[in-house]
Amino acid sequence: SMASQSASLHALCPISFLSSWLRQAVPSRGSHWQSSVLVFRASLPMRAQPKKKKKVDVKREQAQKDRMKKKIKKLEKTAPELIPIEDFITPMKYSDSNRVRSLPDLSPEEAERRVLLMKKWCLFKQKQDNAEKKAIQSMVEAQQEALKELRLESEELYQAAIRRDEGLFPFEREGPSYTPPLPGYDPPEGKCVDITKVYTQ
Amino acid sequence: TAAAPRSWRLFGAMCLLRLPRITQPLEKEEEEMAALMGQIELEKSHYSDHEIRKLEEEELLRRRKESAYDDEVPGKTVIMAQDLEDKWEQKFLRFKAAPRITDADKSNNRTSLNRKLDRNLMLLVKQKIGNQELWLLPQVEWQPGETLRSTAERAMATFLGDHIEAKVLGNAPYGIYKYKFPRAIRTEDNMGAKVFFFKAFLQSSDLSQAELKEDHLWVTKDELGDYLKPEYLKKVNRFLLD
Repeated sequence: SMASQSASLHALCPISFLSSWLRQAVPSRGSHWQSSVLVFRASLPMRAQPKKKKKVDVKREQAQKDRMKKKIKKLEKTAPELIPIEDFITPMKYSDSNRVRSLPDLSPEEAERRVLLMKKWCLFKQKQDNAEKKAIQSMVEAQQEALKELRLESEELYQAAIRRDEGLFPFEREGPSYTPPLPGYDPPEGKCVDITKVYTQ
Repeated sequence: TAAAPRSWRLFGAMCLLRLPRITQPLEKEEEEMAALMGQIELEKSHYSDHEIRKLEEEELLRRRKESAYDDEVPGKTVIMAQDLEDKWEQKFLRFKAAPRITDADKSNNRTSLNRKLDRNLMLLVKQKIGNQELWLLPQVEWQPGETLRSTAERAMATFLGDHIEAKVLGNAPYGIYKYKFPRAIRTEDNMGAKVFFFKAFLQSSDLSQAELKEDHLWVTKDELGDYLKPEYLKKVNRFLLD
């Protein structure tokens, strides 16, 4: 019974000691209040608010991510919208009746002249096309003859000649204009802003 | 490998083309057709915003003339579509474009590159072959160790200098001119020569520091006949498009 009493006394003692120590550690409202607060935060093992915040954050973020993923999947499931071709869509304002042009009707002589001109054009283009084809044919023949003669001379040079020229394509060139460029022309200052609508699927 | 003695000497020649800078004039049929197409397009079209504005303003002017008073508030200047058109016309007339027929055309200066801007021009140089001075496409003899294309490029560089930008159209020759030497110098090993032609487009537009020789010409396909020998001309004409 003595031993148990002494044990209980000993048990009581540390509690009182702990309470007195705790009282000392409570931040005192004094000049050194800030430093003691920091010390308080760092030294004591915290089992309060901050850790709970982390759990809830993680869960919330996870939930948000899942919702976003679901939305993305739904959007992807629907077929991609076709990109409209601007040229094929006539704006509504051009189908007004006041827009229709009023011109005199075509006389039979005029219709006759047009038909005859179309036929002449057909013949002209056919002759032009045939001449072009003949010219290309003649070029190809000349090249074949040259390669044949080259082969007779030297196989090595022939092989070098029929090798593909990698640097030739892509070949870009500005086409001819109606008048030649003006020497010493000073173009006006300005910036070109591209306002074409770009669609993405 | 031991080179077998060649009985034919090889030459690489370059046909350097200056491409057209302006469009060719339209033929009679093309002009008539262009006019007809314009007319048909006009007939099939609807009025544009500018034309509607013009019609409305003409209507307004007519009504104002018929009724004797101004119903428009005076002092408020309105820009009419017709005024805009006049302003545009004036601006267009003030612009002076460069002439299509240049001075070189008028003086027929065949050494200038500014001549015949709507046609292809090719380079001809005067070279000494045997004991004759001939007008030819620039050529040099092939040397062992180089391809024929590089021979042709060397020919171009010999006559025009190194700073020429030209796009050679491929590794293969476009034509060949074969000729036998005159009997006096013909031997078993030296029967004649084969001249391989290559084609290139001239890219650099300014050759002021390039010309080394005075006797060079830039000619069109039709004018080649004035300078080249008939057989040579026949072979060259086969691979020229014009």
